[in-house]
Amino acid sequence: MIFFLVLMVLVFVAQIAEFFIPPLDWMSNAHVYITPVLVFYGAMALPPPLLLVLVFWAGFLLDAVTAQIIGSHVEISFGSSILLYAILAGIMHGLRPLFARGRWEVHCIMSGICTSALLLGQYLMLSFRRGSIFFSREVWWQIGGPGLLAMIMAPLVFWALQWLARATAYPYLPRRGLV
Amino acid sequence: MSRTSIVVLVLFIAALGYLFSLGAGGTRKLQANVYQFLAPFLSSGSGIQKQITSVRSNLKSLDDLQGENNSLRVENRSLKATNQALRDVEHEVNRLRHALNYRERAVFKLVPAEVVARDPSTWWRTLTINRGKQDGIESDMPVVTDEGLVGKTTTVSANITVVLLVSDENCRVATNVEGTREQGIVTGERVAGQSPLLNLNFLSKQANLQPGQKAYTSGVGGVFPPGLLIGNVKDFRARELDGQAQLVPAVDLTKLEDVFVVVGRK
Repeated sequence: MIFFLVLMVLVFVAQIAEFFIPPLDWMSNAHVYITPVLVFYGAMALPPPLLLVLVFWAGFLLDAVTAQIIGSHVEISFGSSILLYAILAGIMHGLRPLFARGRWEVHCIMSGICTSALLLGQYLMLSFRRGSIFFSREVWWQIGGPGLLAMIMAPLVFWALQWLARATAYPYLPRRGLV
Repeated sequence: MSRTSIVVLVLFIAALGYLFSLGAGGTRKLQANVYQFLAPFLSSGSGIQKQITSVRSNLKSLDDLQGENNSLRVENRSLKATNQALRDVEHEVNRLRHALNYRERAVFKLVPAEVVARDPSTWWRTLTINRGKQDGIESDMPVVTDEGLVGKTTTVSANITVVLLVSDENCRVATNVEGTREQGIVTGERVAGQSPLLNLNFLSKQANLQPGQKAYTSGVGGVFPPGLLIGNVKDFRARELDGQAQLVPAVDLTKLEDVFVVVGRK
């Protein structure tokens, strides 16, 4: 339970930190997202009830800082990020047996893919609302770039969270971890 | 599936359903409350970021300092000469300003604000500023700098406000172009590269705007008062039914630190 609370706090801190991390101009202004990497770790390490709470918290924060109210309508409904996180975390949760065997690379690769999928989901929803869709080089970079960065960050995050899990005596750990 | 899982799942779906059912008013209120909660964290984060940036920019090599010293000496001599000339100009400006009763002609009541955070997402271009309802700010108020239009306020909490930048596709500004009768709507691009440009749509095909022409707010729509500089024309192209110009924003939206919110007329 302590580890779960630590994870909730980390998600909050990561969401605040993302305000201050400038987009990378050498990557067509791709943003750096830390929160999804934490959530997708949680998807593999937490049991379903706690995972749902974590997903709700992360999605709620993301919607709170990004929801756009244009005139008298909300561009993408508050809650859509929760739904996207829930679907992607559900997929990640299906890979839990691999995680339990200590296969850390699954988390890394899937964190990147799911981060990009999250952005693709948002882009498709806002394109639907705005009535037109296009995929330029910049769009692909802004969807794929954060995914690549998440893949690079994921081993470090995985290692740090494994350490935290052990430090807080979290009972559900891989049999063969990195620490 | 355990009983706990089922209970949590039901609560999850209920809460999600509630959030989905929120209208614009409810979402705005909820978002304002969350921003109010985040305000101290954003302010602290902004302070830390400024300190880090300041330390990083102060770390210069001796060669850099020597070069900077030399150029400052040259600049100092040049400024001394300019200063004398400006004294005369200042006198004349004061005289003219007095004559035109400039202060009374400045119709806007401005609230100065500091940018505390920017662009937390990929698809929407926003800023967060450290002023809110307590300072008389409301939704849909124009945000400007001395260089031109920045955007408009959207979510406003007690002492923090989200500003939708003019470079966002959702920010639409009725515009006219200097020296012409052309009117159009400026919007941002959905996905911008390193330096965002603005699209000026619904011009006539014959507009033939030239690079460097200035585009101002026309005042149509009621949100933005007329006469605020939006940007300069970069290029123009005639399309099948209308004309479209690309504008370079008057304000460098990537480096904003201080802005003014137009809260009314004097």
